[in-house]
Amino acid sequence: MEKKRWFVIIDALLLFFAAIPILTGIVLRVLFTPASEGIEITGALIFTTVKMPWGELPITEAQINSWLVILSVFWLCLYLTHGITAKGGSRRQYLCEWVVEKTESLVQENMGEYFSGFAPFIAAVMALSAFSSLLSLFGLFPPTSDLNIVAGWAILVFLLITFYKCKCGPLQYLKSFTEPVAFLTPLNVISEIATPVSMAFRHYGNILSGSIISVLIAAALGGLSSLLLGWLPGIFGEIPFLQIGLPAVLSVYFDVFSGFLQAFIFAMLTMLYVAGGFPAELYAKKQVKKSQKKIKIKK
Amino acid sequence: MQNLDVISINLWQILISLCNLFLLFLILKKFLYKPVKKMMAQRQAALDEQYEKAAESERAAEMDRKAWAEKIQGAKAEADRLVKTAEARADRRSEQIVAKAKDEADGILRDAQSQAVLEKKKAKAEIKREIVDVSAALTEKILRREISEDDHRAILDSVLSEIGEENDGYQ
Repeated sequence: MEKKRWFVIIDALLLFFAAIPILTGIVLRVLFTPASEGIEITGALIFTTVKMPWGELPITEAQINSWLVILSVFWLCLYLTHGITAKGGSRRQYLCEWVVEKTESLVQENMGEYFSGFAPFIAAVMALSAFSSLLSLFGLFPPTSDLNIVAGWAILVFLLITFYKCKCGPLQYLKSFTEPVAFLTPLNVISEIATPVSMAFRHYGNILSGSIISVLIAAALGGLSSLLLGWLPGIFGEIPFLQIGLPAVLSVYFDVFSGFLQAFIFAMLTMLYVAGGFPAELYAKKQVKKSQKKIKIKK
Repeated sequence: MQNLDVISINLWQILISLCNLFLLFLILKKFLYKPVKKMMAQRQAALDEQYEKAAESERAAEMDRKAWAEKIQGAKAEADRLVKTAEARADRRSEQIVAKAKDEADGILRDAQSQAVLEKKKAKAEIKREIVDVSAALTEKILRREISEDDHRAILDSVLSEIGEENDGYQ
């Protein structure tokens, strides 16, 4: 009995810790966002600016919110894996098993056996992207609509792509730019650089455009409402009745659907680019040669 | 409070975001994938063990079944053998009994026959003697002086034996 009670208490604590970051974000938002008049489309709020060796580092809402997401996911992980047993049975165990198995099978299908260790990374990309976008449901600034955040992820993916392209040696990597014909080299370089740029801008643009469209439509509906229903007496004339309903439906699309979709697309592209850039056959040949050499040395 | 521009690029922010993603990767790996995979490995091990156990018990059951089948086969053969020997013994015994009975019956028959023959002979001899006595007495009375008794008897004997042979022929 005592043990069971402790189990429940720890569960509740973990969930509470997972919820705290979100609440903190909301509190920060309420405290620091200045009351705005009319339509205003801006980037993230800057809390403070830190002096750094090269340039300045503004601590923005986007940064804070992405940290909050990471914290939340961390506590959620602890909650999900709390008390899992080989026997199974609890619902959260099914959930975390489902997550692990799904991501692993996805990675296996899209990247192959060699990259099976990529499952946690892909899960991290998906979780960070999706939860960041979903923060807008709480009225928080979604970090994914800040270019810097998404650019950071894209650059990490670019580093991974380059790392796996260099698996057969830097010379082989440089040589791969001259294929299939030498004069296409500049184009190849451009397309290489375009990969992270396009990934970053795709994600950022989709989420930001979603919020911009939402804001524009809400504003337009407010104007229409005051135009059509402004004749109502007293306070009724000031309530934007037309803003009820439609923005919620749009939010389901722009915040929820688009958030998940962009997370999935970003993860998918990561998998395809990393696995596609890896010269698998060449690498396999090299491994075979290496093992042969080893055998010779042993002999 | 200031706001960032809608499109703004800051190297430090990009770097921090990069580190954030890597950090989340590490967190997920350590706190979600590792325990879940460990648990799955445990489950797999338990499952394998169960299967092993089941296969083993099945093997044991199969062996038991075979042993029992063999035993039953043996018992059947034993029963057959017993029945056969019992039958054979009974047959022998009955034959013996029948043979003995036949022997006894034959003995009895033979005794009876020999008895009968003896009786007949006895009776014959008796009758012969009486006839001889009677005829002797008769002839004595008729021919008292002319024939000595011995001659008389010899003649009659020869006659009677003739008759007897004729009678034997009838028999």
